[in-house]
Amino acid sequence: MPRFLARRVLGALVILLIISAITFWLFYAIPRDPAMMSCGKNCTPENLAQIRRNLGIDEPITFQYWHWLVGVFAGRDYGGYGYCDAPCLGYSFANREPVFGTIMDRLPLTLSLAFGAAVVFLIAGIGAGMIAAVKQGKALDKIASSVSLLGSSLQIYFVGYIAMYFLVAKVGVLSQPSYTPITENPAAWFSGLLLPWLVLSIIFTANYTRMTRSQLVEQLSEDYVRTARAKGLSQWNVFFRFAWRGAMGPIVTVFGIDLGTLIGGAIITESVFSLQGIGRLALQSVDQSDLPMLLGVTLLSAGAIVFFNIAVDAVYALIDPRIRLA
Amino acid sequence: MSFSRRNFMIATGVVAASSTVLTACGGSGGGSSSGGDAPKVTGSKTMDIPVGTKADSTGPAPEVAGATKGGTIYSLEQFDMDHLDPAQIYVSTEGAITVPIMRGLTGYKIDEKGGVTLVGDAATDAGTSKDGGKTWSFTLKDGLKWEDGSAVTTDDVRHTFERLFASFITEGPRYVQQWLEGGEKYKGPYDGKSLSSVEVDGKTVTFRLNEPRGDFNYTLAMRGYALVPKKHDTKEKYDKRPFSCGPYKIASRSIGKSLTYTRNPHWDPKTDAIRNNYPDKYVFEFGFQPLAATDRYIADKGNDQYAVPIFNEVAAERIAQVLTNATLKKRVLTQVDTVTYYWPINTTRIKDVKVRQAINWAWPHQQLQTIRGGASTSEIATTILSPVTPGYEKFDLYGTTKKPGGDPAKAKALLKEAGKVGQKLVIAYQQSDNAVKQAVAIKNALEAAGFTVVNKQIDKSTFYTQIGKIDNGYDLFAAGWSPDWPNGYSVFYPCWSGENIGDGRSNYAQLDDTSVNKAINTAATITDSEKANKAWGAVDRQVMELAPVVPDYHSIRNWMYGSKVGNVVYDAGNTCVALCKVYVKK
Repeated sequence: MPRFLARRVLGALVILLIISAITFWLFYAIPRDPAMMSCGKNCTPENLAQIRRNLGIDEPITFQYWHWLVGVFAGRDYGGYGYCDAPCLGYSFANREPVFGTIMDRLPLTLSLAFGAAVVFLIAGIGAGMIAAVKQGKALDKIASSVSLLGSSLQIYFVGYIAMYFLVAKVGVLSQPSYTPITENPAAWFSGLLLPWLVLSIIFTANYTRMTRSQLVEQLSEDYVRTARAKGLSQWNVFFRFAWRGAMGPIVTVFGIDLGTLIGGAIITESVFSLQGIGRLALQSVDQSDLPMLLGVTLLSAGAIVFFNIAVDAVYALIDPRIRLA
Repeated sequence: MSFSRRNFMIATGVVAASSTVLTACGGSGGGSSSGGDAPKVTGSKTMDIPVGTKADSTGPAPEVAGATKGGTIYSLEQFDMDHLDPAQIYVSTEGAITVPIMRGLTGYKIDEKGGVTLVGDAATDAGTSKDGGKTWSFTLKDGLKWEDGSAVTTDDVRHTFERLFASFITEGPRYVQQWLEGGEKYKGPYDGKSLSSVEVDGKTVTFRLNEPRGDFNYTLAMRGYALVPKKHDTKEKYDKRPFSCGPYKIASRSIGKSLTYTRNPHWDPKTDAIRNNYPDKYVFEFGFQPLAATDRYIADKGNDQYAVPIFNEVAAERIAQVLTNATLKKRVLTQVDTVTYYWPINTTRIKDVKVRQAINWAWPHQQLQTIRGGASTSEIATTILSPVTPGYEKFDLYGTTKKPGGDPAKAKALLKEAGKVGQKLVIAYQQSDNAVKQAVAIKNALEAAGFTVVNKQIDKSTFYTQIGKIDNGYDLFAAGWSPDWPNGYSVFYPCWSGENIGDGRSNYAQLDDTSVNKAINTAATITDSEKANKAWGAVDRQVMELAPVVPDYHSIRNWMYGSKVGNVVYDAGNTCVALCKVYVKK
């Protein structure tokens, strides 16, 4: 297992390096001048040149990338704007802050949102999928399938506003969406994020219900399940020891990607509920042409997906020992 | 006062007529209402701000009837402030939000009746002038302290004005820099050199100007000239965390997310005639779209009951609901503004005055007003000066009142007369939903009048940089202006004088007409305010006859607030809600 993980981590670092190079080139090759954002309204050509020098953006792009890469490991000096400690992912001219600090400031909310929603949609989605598979063709299956179809066709911006209007403004059973760090006030953390979790999980729940159902139905019709039944194993044993375990592989894979994507930013959910997480940060960066911040957020998203893929591989290896040999 | 990209984005965005403009100096509460009938721009009281006496400048500020101390005031805003270094502040929201933490030599005092007076803020009075306004002196009050308990000194005042010349100060107003003697060669204090035209003698600071400026004390009331401590000046980094000498100080700040003020224990109310300090704390939260914020103000739950907006006005989607519901309307502060939004015509490209006049005749004012949210948020403009700005003269040269939807036939006839039927017009606008809708309406109207229109979307972050270039390649683009203090000079010199043409300057139309330049310079020297106002009204007409601009609208602003916020009044000095006058209802 350690060798397997080491190999995967090494591969992930190479992937991240390639992603950073491509993203850096794409962002900096487009005709936008980050120095203009820092230079202001009464900008003189001399000031602009000075800012370009301070920020190192008067250099060829390969040098810029090299300096950026060095900054990630050793930090970097941005002249009058201050020193950016390692890991320095760049300096945001719009926020006048190092990119890494801002990302770290917004990340706890996004992690809370992603993991909280994941708990809801995993429990609800897999639970409903299991019931549907067990009760295949019966009323419960039809209800679960119909509800999941309805759920997957809904949009967060629609459900979010409706839910806010009724559950918060009219009936008042839920709190206004907000973020309080869990370390500060766990109850406020929970109540402030409950509505976003529920809304965000609606679509995912529907997908996981459908996926779990189809995987389980497939597994339950496999020969080895039939053999297990023929050997007289209990229904419970057959279901959880054989069918469920077999069905989990694809679900875990998709879950890893979904979680990585969510950590990269649930842009719509954060926007609907006015939460300031990574998604809003990405949106704001696009709006302000804040390329360094956008690069940082892109790398975070890529890193999250890569990380959870490794985690999924590890879990996969636990579920299916054949993976370790591959 | 120019108009930042943020202002434009909001003005043309989802907000009906959100018109956050650069630090305008409005006036004595003209055209404001809270819960009553919606005011109209035309007919509203002109925003005159008289100069107060030494007694007016002496603290403490008048108490607000029924106000009590304590509690927290919240705010749900769309954006964080771009700048908090006063020298970089030229946006009204930035000016308004920094009232509790910054003080200048002069400022605007709001009295019990909502009237506004120019008074000494850190200075004992609104200043004394000599040489017809070429020399101005201000004496610092006793007992002024920074948030660390150290005294505010005249050295700090001198440093405040000298640092305006530093290369990293690029966004704030440029008036004082242009007027101080020797300013053209001065590069700031950081290499150890002083500016000799700022003299310090005991507690008095004297400014020597290169031209008579009777309104210099009004200029200094702009947040761009608030004091900065020499000892704590962190240069570029000061923009993130300024030092306070007001009743509050910054307790925490997460850029783009939140800003919190707590009390500054070293502030003495006896030194301050302008600010009250009722709440214990202010918490500004950013990232709320106007619609989301409006819905929360309507719901009025939890901390939102203690919330008051600075930037977010009632969203266009909710304006009818809010203004037609008597209960909700009670929690709305409606205010006529001094800003005029307009579309400058690039006179270096559209040289024929008849073509420019044809654009004016064809303009679809009414359609654009509907897109903005209707008459409750804006009034169609026919002049450059707002009806509430001193000097305003009512006239309508291009038939807007009779045909607010435009007169394509008249426009076509003018084009024909000029031999320019089919004239190509390149219109630049920012990328936003509302701007796209407006661009379509404008294109249709102008094409119906015989123009060939090419619409070009421009990235919001570089819009003003692009239209501010001399050789920008565009014929028509949106902008807006509100006076920095209540007279025509701060409208016409920055935007319509040929002396202010250049990359990054605010004469976007690049109008350089000898007679207009002369009229502006003549009006600027008139010391009698009544005569000066008449002269500015005449300049307005003179400029409009040349049609270098299409006046679009004057804004009416609607701010909704929580049910437990008391005394929500207008701060004419910053064209926003007066933060230092609100209190938490018990």
